[in-house]
Amino acid sequence: MDILKADRVAVVLASAALAGAPLLFASSYTTGVLTVALCFGIWAASWDFMSGLTGRENFGHSLFIGAGAYTAGFLNVNFGLSPWWSLPAAPVVAVLFSLILGLPTLRLKGPYFALAMLSGAAVMQNLTIIFSEYTGGQDGLNGIDPMLDSPFAYYYLVLGVLIATTVILKLIANSTWGTILRAIRGDEASSQASGINVNFYKIAALMISAAFAGLGGALYAHYQLQVGPDLFAIVLSINIIIMVYVGGLGSIYGPVGGALLLSVLTESLRAFSEYRLWVYTLVLMFILFFMPQGLIAPLWRRIRSFAV
Amino acid sequence: MTALLIVEKLNKRFGGLHAVKDVSFTLKAGSITGVLGPNGAGKTTMFNLLTGFLPFDTGRVEFEGQSLAGLPPHKIVNRGLVRTFQLARPFLGMTVLENVEVACLAPRVRGEGKPGLRAQALLDQVGLGEKSSQLVDVLPYGDLRRLEIARALATRPKLLLLDEPFAGLGVAEIQPLADLIGALHRSEGLTILIIEHKLREFMQLVQEVIAMDFGEVVAIGAPAAIVRDPRVIEAYIGKSTFEEPQLAVTGDGVGVARGQRFGSPLR
Repeated sequence: MDILKADRVAVVLASAALAGAPLLFASSYTTGVLTVALCFGIWAASWDFMSGLTGRENFGHSLFIGAGAYTAGFLNVNFGLSPWWSLPAAPVVAVLFSLILGLPTLRLKGPYFALAMLSGAAVMQNLTIIFSEYTGGQDGLNGIDPMLDSPFAYYYLVLGVLIATTVILKLIANSTWGTILRAIRGDEASSQASGINVNFYKIAALMISAAFAGLGGALYAHYQLQVGPDLFAIVLSINIIIMVYVGGLGSIYGPVGGALLLSVLTESLRAFSEYRLWVYTLVLMFILFFMPQGLIAPLWRRIRSFAV
Repeated sequence: MTALLIVEKLNKRFGGLHAVKDVSFTLKAGSITGVLGPNGAGKTTMFNLLTGFLPFDTGRVEFEGQSLAGLPPHKIVNRGLVRTFQLARPFLGMTVLENVEVACLAPRVRGEGKPGLRAQALLDQVGLGEKSSQLVDVLPYGDLRRLEIARALATRPKLLLLDEPFAGLGVAEIQPLADLIGALHRSEGLTILIIEHKLREFMQLVQEVIAMDFGEVVAIGAPAAIVRDPRVIEAYIGKSTFEEPQLAVTGDGVGVARGQRFGSPLR
């Protein structure tokens, strides 16, 4: 069995496991938790594509998520469009935001991109409160229509998008594009001296990252049937970054695993009630301290090396 | 022979420091030229100006009859003017092969066959063929210098700027690298400009030397003539009122005649 075949088998097995999960529990509560976990998977994979590959940390991924979610909310609640319009519209709006912040800051060396993303998300969070007559302020936009009537069916739709997102991003990362993005992470000046248009690739990577994050945001909005300013919150961005590091930076599939693992972990720790955050933080510290390369991606590489 | 690169009255200031001052020279196609000068003479700054890594204040740089003013580094590379760095700057976390593959993806050479195959051929050429699957992070310094050259060659340059390719190399590594550079010049007709400042191998390699001091070109000529030029001698060991000192090419590099070894410039 070669590496490619092993990876394909893993994709099929992981997809089958995720497809079987709601059947196993057969409760709408569990299906809901898992749907949210899938959304986090999309967000983590899209964050990793830009920041894991090029090394330019994005501290405001929630900006793209919120932009996608609010686009879905506006089109559906304010303009009365069918929820399906969210699927093409949310990525477009998220990409526009990536251009507004990426074009001026990704050319610069230093922390400007990270800071611009961080403040961009914070500014948007405040703008949703300031323009409350359109955005609903703290309450957000309510009464968003579901795309599918059955939450179970919707779970499979989101799962399909997650699998497609992961496969597409991984294929790009394995192509010559991925080689160039990793070279930019290695040394920007050397990339330029190798004839590579570094700014073009960084901005293009951010646009792709934003598109999938926005798509995930729209899917989340049509699951929650509500969007609020918290979708722009910094804590959401930070949670996604933690998921990526737990999964394994730069591997795309690792962060998806990290997102699923931590999302489910957060829910299953409800039994600890007020000690929940304590336990969660301890688990995180344990993983990051003893497995600085992450949990999922190094684990799979080890399994694969046995199988091949 | 036609002029490949024309540099005219090139100037760069960093605040009060006039780092490159009215530098003018011409490189003929197929020539191999050295840039000599003590530390701080403006050699690397001049390389940065020619390759677009720094914008120049005034002056003219013409490559194959076209101005390079205001072009970003990657566009200059894709015109055929490529540089290496004084300190090797590999793409960490990638294999030796991938490091060269990146340069094979430059628009200028993208259509020229499979990047992986081209990269392997280039690694064979510089003597790194067997190390292609290693991570660059574990490569010794001498190999990193060869890797820099392979990466530069991957973009199929017409003019190759080498910034101190021998710096930090052991005695045993210098001659093979000099042979490689000489072979590139002879067999591929590559025009080469090398910054270096103290090696016999270097003086034997180049046809012409541009000597710089305090940002200015102080002399241009054949290597043998340059080491006797009073202004070059002054740049290296200062002015003497008692006797006429002479630089000589010794086994250790450019040094003061009468067997005295040249240490640091007397500044």
